[in-house]
Amino acid sequence: MQDNRAWLGVLPVLLIVAFSAVIPLMTVVNYSVQDIFDVNTRIFVGFDWYRETLRDPRFLDALLRQLAFSGTVLAIEIPLGILVARAIPREGRWVGLVLVLLAVPLLIPWNVVGTIWQLFARPDIGLFGQAVNDLGIAFNYTAEPLHAWITLVMMDVWHWTSLVALLAFSGLTAIPLPCYQAALMDGASPWQVFRHVELPRLVPVLVIAVLLRLMDSFMIYTEPFVLTGGGPGNSTTFLSQYLTTMAVGQFDLGPAAAFSVLYFLVVLLLCWLFYTSVLARDGEVGS
Amino acid sequence: MAELRLDALSFAYPGADAATLSDLTLTVERGEAHALLGSSGAGKTTLLNLLSGLLPAAPGQIYFDGRDVGARAPYERRVTQVFQFPVLYDAMTVAENLAFPMRKLPVAERQGRLRDVAERLGLGAALERKPRQLTLVEKQLTAIGKALLRPDVALVLLDEPLTAAEPEHKWRLRQTLKALQHELEATMIYVTHDQTEALTFADRVSVLHEGRILQTGTPAALVADPAHEHVGYFVGSPGMNLLDGEIRGGALMIGAQTIGVQAAGTLESGALDAGAATGSDQARADVAESERVALSDGNCRIGFRPEWARITQEVPAETSLSVEVLRTRTLATDRGEAVGLVTAVFQGREIVTRQPLGRLAPGRAALQLDADRLCLFRDGRRLKRAG
Repeated sequence: MQDNRAWLGVLPVLLIVAFSAVIPLMTVVNYSVQDIFDVNTRIFVGFDWYRETLRDPRFLDALLRQLAFSGTVLAIEIPLGILVARAIPREGRWVGLVLVLLAVPLLIPWNVVGTIWQLFARPDIGLFGQAVNDLGIAFNYTAEPLHAWITLVMMDVWHWTSLVALLAFSGLTAIPLPCYQAALMDGASPWQVFRHVELPRLVPVLVIAVLLRLMDSFMIYTEPFVLTGGGPGNSTTFLSQYLTTMAVGQFDLGPAAAFSVLYFLVVLLLCWLFYTSVLARDGEVGS
Repeated sequence: MAELRLDALSFAYPGADAATLSDLTLTVERGEAHALLGSSGAGKTTLLNLLSGLLPAAPGQIYFDGRDVGARAPYERRVTQVFQFPVLYDAMTVAENLAFPMRKLPVAERQGRLRDVAERLGLGAALERKPRQLTLVEKQLTAIGKALLRPDVALVLLDEPLTAAEPEHKWRLRQTLKALQHELEATMIYVTHDQTEALTFADRVSVLHEGRILQTGTPAALVADPAHEHVGYFVGSPGMNLLDGEIRGGALMIGAQTIGVQAAGTLESGALDAGAATGSDQARADVAESERVALSDGNCRIGFRPEWARITQEVPAETSLSVEVLRTRTLATDRGEAVGLVTAVFQGREIVTRQPLGRLAPGRAALQLDADRLCLFRDGRRLKRAG
């Protein structure tokens, strides 16, 4: 006779997982397959909302914009973060101060970050916007889609490169000194030291950095909402913002729910693709 | 490969109270396997880092083939090193790792040397694998290969290279290393705290203690003729027994008892040299006589190796030193007779001898010393033979 009372011990975890993940998610799934008019009037519509969403050009545009944005910021933040991490001294009295200064952007509330850049980049009174205009370049992020993009990317890089740098720094400090000493005796060039000593040992932390930045940038909402409001036109309207407009602005719960599920699946798919590709590269050499 | 010479080399870390290394003078011949033996904190790794140029030039000179290399960068010194744990380029295959130090050679020559050394290290089948797919021993073998393959290498440093290997692999690794060292006539400095490794690997051993070289000599010389008390008990397994004694009027005393050899008698100071009667000529030549302190009356420490003394219950204890046997341990049998270690207590101090065990049982017994082989020390230093 086995003692089944142990299952009671699992109950709290099941409840927490149910309330935090399963129930809200299933509610959304539930909405996504129905057309709801009021509390008593609801019609099962199957995958209609999904079909509609996937055919919605505004959804597809927002998705493309989102991919472009995430790709751009990753392409800048990861290499830049590594560069910054390599420039941080490994020991000495300044290390602590440098790390704290680096962490400052990470501690600022996201809507404040948006506000800071909204002011900073303003062509009339912003330090950055005005300086660029004084150089003879007509810069106006509220009118020019390209300028809005540049400002957004700069803001994201400013906000999040520190995270990559801090992660990479932790990876660098974990490299044993003899690895550098051996390279020095081998006469390896600085590039070879980076390529053959540092980079292979940074891979695990860089995987985390890429995953974090991929997910976060893919779900970015607050900063563009404050900075550009999705404009000019729809040029900086990303998935989350379009979704909010749909769900909260227009109260289209069915399509918004289908949208949410698709959004969630895209994030999941991207992370899975990235992670398995890294694992596959590892698997080829691991055993 | 080069000849290495150290001239009055010293080193102190910035801010440290005491020097880590003081006044090291040493010559390592071209093609010699030289071991630096010392416990942790003796300054072994610091010395390696000075040799490789990882630490800046210190007071004193380092010469490779007569040229002062103090101002040269690590790469220019043409020094390679094997570290305590395998240091490889993780993303490269074994072949790429081995080829990296030879990257300036023509491809054909590179391939030939690589195959040759890989074959001898038993890495032939692993060449296309990456370090992560290797066992620890294979990784360390790769690191050893990498250190030996550098075309113009002057000096190969090994910093406790077998630390990470399991005991059953240590022997094989050491044999491989020794064979390669011999074939390539590599000048090697092998740092270790393990005397078995040092004594079996090296042509000559330097015992490093608190930043000083206490003695440099062949393994046999260190055992037969230690120049310093520390060498006596640090080298040898078990180490030298040390008793407090006194020299009074030319006679060697322990307490009120004059030490005799089997037949009791007064020792002449002239008989007090350990290496003279036994030890090989080579052994004696390696001990710098000038380092020794002149023999004179006063307190001293009397050292004898476990195999230089005998504990017996067959003669009356009155004719020699009286001890209390605690236990015996058989190590081997020699023509049917058990040989092993005898642990006994003499005046509250444990001593160990290695001898035929016979019918030795715990209890009162006599300790017989071979006076010709006793080593006398004062303030740690060996007393000089008279005359």
